[in-house]
Amino acid sequence: MDNIYITRTSESPEVDFNFSNHVLNMTGESYPENASDFFRPILIGLEAYLAATSACEIVFNFQLTYFNSSSTKMLYNLFELLNESASTNDNRIILNWHHDEEDDTILEFGLDIHEDFQWLDFRPIILDNAEEA
Amino acid sequence: MLDIPLPNQSRAGLTEIEAEYIAGSLLQIIPFVSPQQTNDDVLNLLSQRPDLIAIPVVEGGMPIGLINRSIFMDGMAKPFRRELFARKSCIAFMDKDPLIVDRSMSIQTLSFKVVHSGGKTLNDGFIITDETGNYLGLGTGEDLVKVVSYLQAEKNRLVMESINYASIIQKSFLRTSREDMNTALQDYFMHWEPRDKVGGDYYFCKKFDDGFFLALIDCTGHGVPGAFMTLIMAAFLDHILLEDNRYDPASTLSIMNQKVKTALCQRTESNVIPINSAKYAIANSEQSDDGMDTAFCWVNTQDRTLTYAGAKIPLMYLTEESGEVSFLNPDRKGVGYVNTPMEYVWTNKQIELKEGTCIYLTTDGIIDQIGGAKNIAFGKKRLSTLICENYHKPMPEQQNIIMQTFYEYQGKQRRRDDITVMGFRI
Repeated sequence: MDNIYITRTSESPEVDFNFSNHVLNMTGESYPENASDFFRPILIGLEAYLAATSACEIVFNFQLTYFNSSSTKMLYNLFELLNESASTNDNRIILNWHHDEEDDTILEFGLDIHEDFQWLDFRPIILDNAEEA
Repeated sequence: MLDIPLPNQSRAGLTEIEAEYIAGSLLQIIPFVSPQQTNDDVLNLLSQRPDLIAIPVVEGGMPIGLINRSIFMDGMAKPFRRELFARKSCIAFMDKDPLIVDRSMSIQTLSFKVVHSGGKTLNDGFIITDETGNYLGLGTGEDLVKVVSYLQAEKNRLVMESINYASIIQKSFLRTSREDMNTALQDYFMHWEPRDKVGGDYYFCKKFDDGFFLALIDCTGHGVPGAFMTLIMAAFLDHILLEDNRYDPASTLSIMNQKVKTALCQRTESNVIPINSAKYAIANSEQSDDGMDTAFCWVNTQDRTLTYAGAKIPLMYLTEESGEVSFLNPDRKGVGYVNTPMEYVWTNKQIELKEGTCIYLTTDGIIDQIGGAKNIAFGKKRLSTLICENYHKPMPEQQNIIMQTFYEYQGKQRRRDDITVMGFRI
């Protein structure tokens, strides 16, 4: 299984899906010109990984501060894949939802994800700003 | 020297402009030599014509090489060279492999070839022939750079002109809504600010005898594709409201959903994926998945009620008594998207409009904008607080306060999305 690593740009996040360690990280912002082109290979990779993985603990560290509406749709597809896998393949999927203390927008989106994808072990985590700076 | 028309003189279209310039446009007639001529002849020619950077060598009408001035001069300047080579054929110092192009070659192909053949061609130039390979003259790298940058500027100008004109069209589509808002409302503001001159944000207002229908729309995408979507949506909405659908914003949303899905072929049935097959590996990337987030409101001015139905866009309101911002929350499905079922049903919510009630609607452009000291989103809370502190002021003044606060918050951050925010007082 090939891990996925994509460097961060001003319009797209850093994607570090380390399938061999079962740790998935996504950090930054997402508003690429074509969100579906950006996310398609990620979804394909994740889908293949999940199909081959069962009875595993998978950690997804989500740390985006902005995503446009077309990226949002792609993120929903991604969470849907994870949710399905958690419900059928006996995988335990922890969704660490990193957000700034004052960032009600990101937290609210996270709570929606939590409501829609009940199989994911949703854990809101307040970012430590000292560490950030 | 090339005679390039000033950019604003040309009235040609993109493809015409490209076709107008070919390798032949760069042709310069300059003296050439034959292999029978000697290096002394070349030396004489070069001293007579200090402007020549290179001299082509032509045999029987066909180009066979190019003599570069500085290489030739350096070669001849070395000890005893003059004595050795002066009377020999001029091909001694000739580049046997210069770039030779047909005069009908496009500027684009030519520039790729020049770049590919390296620095020497930019300096020496390239030989231009007719269709049968006969020598015509030389083109210089300098002229090529001029034409390429002119074409670039011209294309850019055309694209900008077309976007500017698209902006005029989009604004003129908004005019009737503006007029209806002006007659329906005494105290209101509408701030519409697309990120790239045109955009996917849109508003719609239609006045009737018993009230007015108001919609704030955020179509997928921004820029030109977003603007395309807004015109489709506006046309659909206008058409739907010809019948008595205005009293029921939720079912108006449903009709819109069906129309958009049908028009853009985003029917969910065609998208059903068999179980256990890889969904993304096989999905069609050409399938469009576009739609809109929106808030539809019917304001009945006779019995003073507002009926709202929302697709991901909430409604904020504030009454004199409460002095606090309350929310009518939207349903969480957007209109028209592949994931929204054809028969999806939105819900109506109704509020009474007491004297002085303030209503606010905004797309996510303001709320999601990154900025501030921490580079995080502006947020709903910040907006509600602003509204709370200023709702008693006239609406246009509130607009200024909200936008000034927003611009300051955005600071040096790039604008992420189109922005639309509106408020009105009953």
